[in-house]
Amino acid sequence: MTAFAPKTASGAGRTDRFYLLMIVLPCAFLALLYFLPVLNVLVLSVTEPQPGIQNYQMLAESGALHRILLNTLRVSLSTTALTLLLGYMFSLGINSMAPRTRTVALFVVLASFWISALIRAYAWVAILQPNGLINQLLMGIGLIDTPLILVRNELGVIIGMVHYMLPYAILPIYANMAGIDRSLLRASRALGANRWRTFWWVFFPQSLPGLAGSGILVMIFSLGFYITPAILGGGRVVMIAEYISIQISETLRWGVATMLATVLVMVVVALTIWMSRYLKVGGGLASKGGKS
Amino acid sequence: MTKEKPELEFAADCLSILREKTNGKMVHRRRFLSALGALGVMPLALKFTPAHAASDELVVVNWGGDAQPAFQTIWADPFVASRDGLPTVVEGSGPSSGKIKAMVESQAVVWDVCDRNLPASIDLGQQDLLEKVDWDVVDPAKLRDIHRTDWGVGSYLYSFALTWDSEAHEIAPQNWADFWNLKDFPGTRTLRNNFEGMLEAALMADGDAADAASLYPVDVERAFEKIREIRENTIFWTSGSQSQELFRNREVTMGNLWHTRALLLREETENRVQFHFNQGILFAGAWIVPKGNPAGAKAWDFVASTQDPESQVELFKALGNGPVNPAAGEMVPEDLRADDPGNPENYAKQVAVDAAWYADNYADVLNRYTDLIAS
Repeated sequence: MTAFAPKTASGAGRTDRFYLLMIVLPCAFLALLYFLPVLNVLVLSVTEPQPGIQNYQMLAESGALHRILLNTLRVSLSTTALTLLLGYMFSLGINSMAPRTRTVALFVVLASFWISALIRAYAWVAILQPNGLINQLLMGIGLIDTPLILVRNELGVIIGMVHYMLPYAILPIYANMAGIDRSLLRASRALGANRWRTFWWVFFPQSLPGLAGSGILVMIFSLGFYITPAILGGGRVVMIAEYISIQISETLRWGVATMLATVLVMVVVALTIWMSRYLKVGGGLASKGGKS
Repeated sequence: MTKEKPELEFAADCLSILREKTNGKMVHRRRFLSALGALGVMPLALKFTPAHAASDELVVVNWGGDAQPAFQTIWADPFVASRDGLPTVVEGSGPSSGKIKAMVESQAVVWDVCDRNLPASIDLGQQDLLEKVDWDVVDPAKLRDIHRTDWGVGSYLYSFALTWDSEAHEIAPQNWADFWNLKDFPGTRTLRNNFEGMLEAALMADGDAADAASLYPVDVERAFEKIREIRENTIFWTSGSQSQELFRNREVTMGNLWHTRALLLREETENRVQFHFNQGILFAGAWIVPKGNPAGAKAWDFVASTQDPESQVELFKALGNGPVNPAAGEMVPEDLRADDPGNPENYAKQVAVDAAWYADNYADVLNRYTDLIAS
């Protein structure tokens, strides 16, 4: 991090039109095709069906909306927690691998990006359903008599979402871990700390920024899931994105839909701002670790 | 203006490429424009193309899948060849209420005739989003009275039918009371994640008679209470193909399915999956025309052409959608009549839905139903 500091400082004084143009074009593109429609959504949320904040009042009053929001929050938080746990374990593993095997492992992680959410959801149905792979295996070896209900419920949704989100968690966590100075760990061991103590006192605190950053990233993504809950939830796990879609295309209550979309955007923006803070802290910590 | 011109030329160029590609058969101009619309440039493109009201072709929109080519060959192609006809293309992108409202309100309507149902025709019609039916062109005598509204023309019949896995249930369930009877008919159920046809089934399970007079207006609270009884044992299907998949995978043993899907299932499982029309909830699909449609009054010529009973029988053979024209019933081959929801014997066993009740309550009850299954 410190290596970049002087470069940006000197770059600020220089105005290169070419580079400016490179920034202006994507910004204009975003403004036209992204911010304008988002602004339109904001406006609709206070003008449909009539001007006023009645849609936002619903947010306070409607029990149904509370339940949808709570569902969304519960599923997203569970997904985030599980994803972080698994992602952290995986990152720990690849961090101590030989470079060649690590490349293969990272390739496997990235490969899952190539498969669409839809296909993954159906694959999970095939694996988790009552006469799917897992249940057949467990019944075959005599562990259970009646199939476990692993899908078409909240559990199935969380399994599918964790699977989808894992690469998003692994990459930042691993990037952070790779930057941790190993000589610190050796020093800790040399000074008499056992493996556990070294991990919890020396390694883990330094990996926290990566964990926090990817946690917020996973949370932001999870809040907006649509296809995965719709297929794996058996219709009973309705998250905010599906609810918005029903209001847009079925009930034509665009005021409510845009209000919910606005709330979702606000939450995501707030989380993003929070995340950028953590990333700065992360940079600070990493460079501190590097210096000492 | 100088800036706009290249845009126009680009659009024209794309259209000419399309024209070449389709060998001059027909130019899917509006399909192309809706592709542009997906990229967010439709309003611009429409402004720059003066042929905004290009009534030189007709766009019919249905829900895709097998229905798209079936509508094309059975209804669109003969219409092209007819006296009043013009190039007609069926596209399957799904004319949801949301899309129709967006098109009409932004005055960028690219669809002429949409495949929806009667409740939607009233719901959208009352919101001033649809053209009124021209009953001088469309023949009301070719429909039962309940299959037409001010904005919608009945197009085919479909039913929510009791469907079951005959291997899981050796004794066939007779009615919705059996469907709700988890003790004597154990197994997972499937209902739709939309309340259409579901509340009526719940009320019949609760003892209501299978006729419209006793079911409408729907006692929503009592129906919800009944659904709550089996909610824990129910998967809620979101699309027709998913309802099939649930039976195919043996995830469920009984369901309230569109009879067209039940027909397909019976065929592909070689009679493992069965269905009947007893206490079925009978809907009518309806043609609707978005307000300000490009081809104008020609849309009703197309709709009138689909009233031909022979074409409706063809559609029944292809997709299972029941003919809505009572005259078509006689033309259905003997051996297929048992599967025709409009067949007099089947018709009498079912409940014809009250479209007006749906139109008045759709948004509100759908939200409450969503809340019911999600909590």
